[in-house]
Amino acid sequence: MNVDLLLQSPVFILGIPLLFAFLTPLADKVSKELRNAVFIIGLLLTALFVSLMAYEVYTIGSWTYVFGAEDPTAITDVSFFRITFLADGFAVLATLTIIITAVGVGIYSFGNMKDFDDLGKFYTLFLLTLAGVMGMVLTSDLFNLFVWFEVTSIASCGLIAYHNERGESVEAALKYMIISVIAGLLLLFSIGFFYGEYGVLNYFLIRDSMDGAFIDILAIGLVMVILSMKASSVPMHMWAPDAYSEAPDSITPFIAITSLGSLFVLFRLIFFVFRGAVEPSSIGNLLIILGVLSMFVGVSMALKQSDVKRLIAYLSVSQIGYMMMAVGVGFATLGTADYGAFGVNAVEGGFFHMINDGVYKALLFLSVGGIIYAADTRDLNRLGGLAHSMPFTTFFFIIGGLSIAGIPPLSGFSSKLLIYKSVYLYNPVLAIIALVVSIVTLALIGKIFFNAFLGPDQKIGMKIPRSMILSMGVLTVIIVIFSLFPNYVVSEIIAPAIEALGVAV
Amino acid sequence: MALVAYLFYQMGESSYKKTRLKGDPFISGNRPSKDPRDIHVGGDNLYWGFTHALRKYLDPLVEGHTGIVNDYVYWFVVTLAFVLVFLYLLI
Repeated sequence: MNVDLLLQSPVFILGIPLLFAFLTPLADKVSKELRNAVFIIGLLLTALFVSLMAYEVYTIGSWTYVFGAEDPTAITDVSFFRITFLADGFAVLATLTIIITAVGVGIYSFGNMKDFDDLGKFYTLFLLTLAGVMGMVLTSDLFNLFVWFEVTSIASCGLIAYHNERGESVEAALKYMIISVIAGLLLLFSIGFFYGEYGVLNYFLIRDSMDGAFIDILAIGLVMVILSMKASSVPMHMWAPDAYSEAPDSITPFIAITSLGSLFVLFRLIFFVFRGAVEPSSIGNLLIILGVLSMFVGVSMALKQSDVKRLIAYLSVSQIGYMMMAVGVGFATLGTADYGAFGVNAVEGGFFHMINDGVYKALLFLSVGGIIYAADTRDLNRLGGLAHSMPFTTFFFIIGGLSIAGIPPLSGFSSKLLIYKSVYLYNPVLAIIALVVSIVTLALIGKIFFNAFLGPDQKIGMKIPRSMILSMGVLTVIIVIFSLFPNYVVSEIIAPAIEALGVAV
Repeated sequence: MALVAYLFYQMGESSYKKTRLKGDPFISGNRPSKDPRDIHVGGDNLYWGFTHALRKYLDPLVEGHTGIVNDYVYWFVVTLAFVLVFLYLLI
């Protein structure tokens, strides 16, 4: 393999989904088989280049890629307007999380969406969303971030409204659009503050220029709130259950992964760019407050749901809280002895939980999609006995459910244990809240399991397509691997991500 | 522990004799319906006691989730104000 090609991988990670997004509808004009082949080739090629970037980052270290330059990897002065990408350990963690979910969701879509027309547009929007969220986590320029943020929002909005024959889907998409437009405009506003103050947009240059002036605080506050809202943090989470529950079943985990993408960007910015300009404890405590609210309100609202997709959506909000709280504890202790003692473990736990959450949440949403496909209802009052006819889906749901509840030996337990231990040393109350939320999460997983899978066979189930089983199987295997080798994941994927942010001990 | 449980289960299984009533689900003494959907107690009935006991906390929370997009923007503005004041005061 040519080494130069490996260094070009960031641009392929964005270019391939963009190119294939526009090839897919053309292929759709020829035949459905060709369209599906083009889509899956695009997805797998993107996965290949994510793997190549990971290999290169772990082998030679991180690099900046300046798009359009004669030698894109040799330029260090990026004080002028350029499209720049940063390939480092953190970008690898984020892109791996995204691509694992994307491949799972993509395979699942073949079976789940086979009865619908106009799938050329569906796959176009899918690949555009993938390009957008990859761009968000790879870029190292604030204006580029805004552009990818908008690409993600617009394409996701189209996906949420895909079932436009249903009023609820259109309503959810409209709400998502309003929220995204406000977020996008204010993001542009905050970028304007940085540019007006320093005349630069690159992460490195802004980091080196910031001096904690009032305008910096204003811009940082705006960016934090916008990205927290897109990550579905309480109290700005209300769009998420609408969007997650009304999007096509196969695409819901992918909409959720765009939220996780926003959280990756938030953590990149606060650790990598804003760290020197603000008192770490202030941003850290803000993240802790938002995290605790998200955990508690998310799981409380899930208790009252009888729509299985909305229930999982609220659990998803609750899980976002774990990550914000853990990373908040890590950030709050930056620069103190506590960071080395337990803060870095909190960040490790938070980042490990992010990749775990991406996978098990996808598995849960997809297995729930299987339930809806077979039973044609998502009302828990009408479901029951599906374990008789859907043994594989039942098994996959159990794996995903036990993982989100943090039950050993599954991967969710490993990341939550890191969080409990480190957060306890910061403030025991936080650890107690996290444990209580985990217990209620387990109870809610039990509720879905009991309602949907147990009970007498109601003979309402129909067979779900093999591609749906295959995609859930792939995600289950990944969860099992993460469960068997948590130390390896932490040392080989999480630790380089922390090192890339410049906060390794 | 699992082995002990299994042995107990096997003891019960070996002495089990199928009669007209044995094996039917027990629903508070009512004759079980022939429709399996009536036998399975689930949905909102599960954890009813728990959510009922927490109704003073949960009901306002549910009412706060109006589904109206104006409220979504309202909470965004409130959070933004809180975050900016918090950051300004602490720096």
